[in-house]
Amino acid sequence: MSAPLTECLLRTIDEHYSLQDYQSDISPRWCTGCGDNGILTAVQRLCRDEQLPPEKTVFVSGIGCSSRLPHYMNAYGFHGLHGRALPVAEGIKMRRPDLHVFVSTGDGDCCSIGAAHWIHAIRYNMNMTVLLHDNQVYGLTKKQASPTSPRGLKSNTTPSGTWLDPINPLTTSLGVANVSFIAQAVDWIPELLYDIIEQAYRHKGFSLVRILQRCPEFLPTLFDPWVRNPASTRLLVHEDGIQLSAALSKTYRNQEVHDPGNIHRAREVSSLTEEIPVGILYRDDDVPCYEDLREGERPNTPGLVRTVLDEEFDKFTIWPEEQPTDAAN
Amino acid sequence: MRQTESAQGQHGIFRAGRTVTQSASAGSRSNRPMNDAPLEFASPRLTQWDPEHTGDQAAREKLRPALFAQYGDLANLRYDYPLVLVDSDDEQSFVQSLSSIFDGILQKIAPPGASGEQLRRDMLRLETGIRMRALGGVEGLLSVLWRLTETDLITACEDAEKDRLEHDLDRARDLLGSDGPLDGHVIDCTEATPVRLLVHGWEQVQAAKAKAFRKKVEGLILSLSDILKADFMKSDKASRPEALQVAIGDASATDFDFDAMSAVLAKGPHENLLSEDRRRRIGATLMVLNSQRFFAPGRASADSSERDAPFDFVFDNCAEALDAFRDRLPQMVDLIKAITIAELEIVNRYRVSQHEAFFAHFDESELGEDELALFPSYLVCLRDGHSGASETVQAFEAIASGLPVKVLIQTDDILGDPTPEPPRASFGGGSTRLAAMAVGVNDAFVLQAASSDLYRLRDTVRDGLAYDGPALFSIFSGATPTISGVPSYLVAAAAKESRAFPTFTYNPAAGPDRVSRFRIGDNPQSDRDWPEHTLSFEDQDQQRVVEQVAFTHADFAICDARYAKHRIPVASSQWHDSIVPVDEHVQLSAEQRGEKAAYVWTIDADNALRKTVVDDKLLRGARRCLKVWQGLQEIGGINDPYVSRILAEERATWEREKETELEALREELDREAPQAGLAKPAIAEPVAPAASDEAPPTVEAAPASDAEQVAPADPDAAYIETPRCTTCNECTQINNKMFIYNEDMQAEIADPDAGSFRQLVEAAEICQVSIIHPGKPRNPDEPGLDELMERAAPFN
Ligand SMILES: Cc1ncc(C[n+]2csc(CCOP(=O)(O)OP(=O)(O)O)c2C)c(N)n1
Ligand code: SF4
Ligand code: SF4
Repeated sequence: MSAPLTECLLRTIDEHYSLQDYQSDISPRWCTGCGDNGILTAVQRLCRDEQLPPEKTVFVSGIGCSSRLPHYMNAYGFHGLHGRALPVAEGIKMRRPDLHVFVSTGDGDCCSIGAAHWIHAIRYNMNMTVLLHDNQVYGLTKKQASPTSPRGLKSNTTPSGTWLDPINPLTTSLGVANVSFIAQAVDWIPELLYDIIEQAYRHKGFSLVRILQRCPEFLPTLFDPWVRNPASTRLLVHEDGIQLSAALSKTYRNQEVHDPGNIHRAREVSSLTEEIPVGILYRDDDVPCYEDLREGERPNTPGLVRTVLDEEFDKFTIWPEEQPTDAAN
Repeated sequence: MRQTESAQGQHGIFRAGRTVTQSASAGSRSNRPMNDAPLEFASPRLTQWDPEHTGDQAAREKLRPALFAQYGDLANLRYDYPLVLVDSDDEQSFVQSLSSIFDGILQKIAPPGASGEQLRRDMLRLETGIRMRALGGVEGLLSVLWRLTETDLITACEDAEKDRLEHDLDRARDLLGSDGPLDGHVIDCTEATPVRLLVHGWEQVQAAKAKAFRKKVEGLILSLSDILKADFMKSDKASRPEALQVAIGDASATDFDFDAMSAVLAKGPHENLLSEDRRRRIGATLMVLNSQRFFAPGRASADSSERDAPFDFVFDNCAEALDAFRDRLPQMVDLIKAITIAELEIVNRYRVSQHEAFFAHFDESELGEDELALFPSYLVCLRDGHSGASETVQAFEAIASGLPVKVLIQTDDILGDPTPEPPRASFGGGSTRLAAMAVGVNDAFVLQAASSDLYRLRDTVRDGLAYDGPALFSIFSGATPTISGVPSYLVAAAAKESRAFPTFTYNPAAGPDRVSRFRIGDNPQSDRDWPEHTLSFEDQDQQRVVEQVAFTHADFAICDARYAKHRIPVASSQWHDSIVPVDEHVQLSAEQRGEKAAYVWTIDADNALRKTVVDDKLLRGARRCLKVWQGLQEIGGINDPYVSRILAEERATWEREKETELEALREELDREAPQAGLAKPAIAEPVAPAASDEAPPTVEAAPASDAEQVAPADPDAAYIETPRCTTCNECTQINNKMFIYNEDMQAEIADPDAGSFRQLVEAAEICQVSIIHPGKPRNPDEPGLDELMERAAPFN
């Protein structure tokens, strides 16, 4: 709750952030051609268009090439431990719900070592935007198979090819209780990448965008069939989802009207193997956020912490003469 | 109007209660909440009146309206009172009726049918016991009255029953309230009720406001303190041995070598430290927030031992309330200023260049409605005949000021003295007009109601107390000293029923216009002059007679001892056609009036029914009351002559138009008559496409609009489909003068002459999304052009 007077004064401040204001002093060290570059650009454009104050915005990540993203943003950042981006982000959101929280995580970071956190973060549904940079390989450690690698992929850890089918991050997420926003984007259609991240940001709750991301260094041809043939990408359009520009609509003619409220169809579309669905798969605005459920009647001030602790200790204190008086409300 | 029928149950006048015995048996049959039980109308006995006694003053004073007959013993009725002023965090339920609390408990624990019957009876005895105590003037917490009554019941019951009764009633007590024990003061309908209920409701509303205020301000204090703390942690001071020791705490002070610890911690230079100016501003803001006196400190507040006591907001006169408001204005200004500065600081948007001057001149003119709404409202409790006469004027000033002042004007006497002398220190009969006058203020919330209605109107009372602007509550307590022998509850209910004190609300927050703001629908049969009731009684031949009678102002006024000499009961032998009911009499013209007398139905102390003739004084009162009521009806949109006229005109126009249309149709039909026999084909409804689960709908791609085509006008020029660029850096690494990023970080060709055609072709080849189109070479002398043009072809 902000006093209208404050709102008035805030409106008089004519400050504008340009895209450069979100670029840090460190220039990206990703390989040339890496899909992470496009993701970074989309995020910086979003920050500019939403005019997010850098000091009110925080980027959290685990470990991996993709997890370097916070370094390239001029905002708060937390480059965490491998697999632990989500618990860190949740802690930040819990203590500072006023911050805009973004998470960048890789397929190894999120779906392998961090899988337990991923499942529970969906269930907790805290308001944050999570970008799953899925290049289907461990990039930073130079090509090991990840849980999303296609079956048979030869890598440093699987010289004769992987034995197992990959995990599908979309259908897995759609199966978790309290799921509230799941979308898929590809780094090579920047217009949609931006639109989808924007909708994810605007959704109040845990929004997970799986972004198929090219790693030209280790899997240079992996996505070629989809990059080169627009017909193999199925664009999910809807008045409550993504709407296409005329130019895009001309190139990508394989389209489906998909209502993001329809979880059953979302699961079906997510399971497609030949085609890549791109768009908002599922959205439910009514799932409560954990930070709201747990919001106390009063802020956790040092005074409150002391009062509550005193009350608890008093329960075990022997009062020889008189009872303690009740604390004020 | 008059008819005979066999005896049967009828609804009573106030619909508030029913006899205990009946509700118990109704509950046992269906296990519905007991409030659903129908009400039995008591039949007063019609006896012959001895004309000798009509002049007996004492007997005449005991006359009551006939429709009171069934309410002789309130203790045995289940009605709104007593009330429980609930101590609860939930401002929605600041008051509950004893009956509703008992109904809630019974619904939870008494099984339907015969097995729950005993429990229902026991609970009903307990409820009646508590009600009798309250009627007898005992006040106290519900839990206390419950225990006292429970003990009485257990003592009085048979030994074999004691254990069961104790167990049942204990179990019921555990269920008080929906989430556990609910408690609060039990109050009956007395002269003290309006103040007690209003003060309690006001306290609940303020408690909710205090909660919201503390949440906001303590949040601000926390965030500001965090800024100072973070700044301190960056300073050299934070790593000094003393600071480290404070951080660890005294208990472990000897376990550490703080000098050594301090020596290993990194020291300056520190970046981004707060400016001295900002630190001071935040410190001063914190001081104001921490020392405000408008709300008492709460659990999360910082140590409050040093604070001044919080302000008082309840007054018994308007002048003091307004003075207090004025005195506190500077502190209100400081607090709002501090909140605003805090909010700007927390989002890091305090701009010295812009805001310093603004806050230097910050004064009360900056306090708008939204700012005032943050503070508690002022409650002024006035009582007609007790508060000074000038208070009415002051109250109107306060209400018209637009400030958040809630004024309760309690009236105990709405009839006033029958003498023409103007009342002293009292609004007298004029108190019924105060609320109607306040409606004219336009932005004040107004409620006029009798005490008997306060429970039913609890939400309205709460809305008025929570309304951000001024509010007037004009309440008739029913405790009129000159009406003896009738409980205040009944007097209050009769005042409303007779239109002597109608209920109405004017709520400026309810909508933009009078129709949505003004409500008189809470009155019985609000579209009539007076509410009508069925009076059934036995005549001399033991026949049941049923008659429709209106309850008028005169019916209400006859209870009052001061009006005793203005009415006279008549023996049935003297009943004849020139005695007409009051409601008929007030409709007569002045000449007709001279020929007729008016009567009301009354009962005496033995419940014997009488017609009682009333004199001109009472009739004048009734006519005046009716005029006021019709005025209210008009404001409320009932029988509004203006609206009625417009409606009549509109209807006439509409009917004329329709008639013309119909005429035209008839003529057309007549012309088509020769081809009759064939109905006109109906216009086909558009058919909705069938939905299919199998095939998801697909969309036909729309053609690209010209504006979105990125190809340049010159077909030979190089270009990039910029919106499709993925910022992969491939082309910019080849030549960052030729290829540059636009403000969206997507590549475009800045200068085709900044590099070679070869570079253009290589970029086109390496671009993974194939969006670079090299065009034709610009320099015909560039070596290897033939081969390059061949390589460029697939990209053009
Ligand atoms: C606890 C732990 N285990 C293993 C590693 C080694 N490690 C670093 S990055 C990485 C995988 C990164 O893959 P992914 O998350 O897909 O990110 P990418 O580099 O592909 O963007 C691994 C296993 C580590 N840093 N910490
Ligand atoms: S290794 Fe792959 S994922 Fe990592 S930066 Fe290079 S291209 Fe990108
Ligand atoms: S090579 Fe293509 S995608 Fe990469 S930056 Fe250049 S134009 Fe953009």
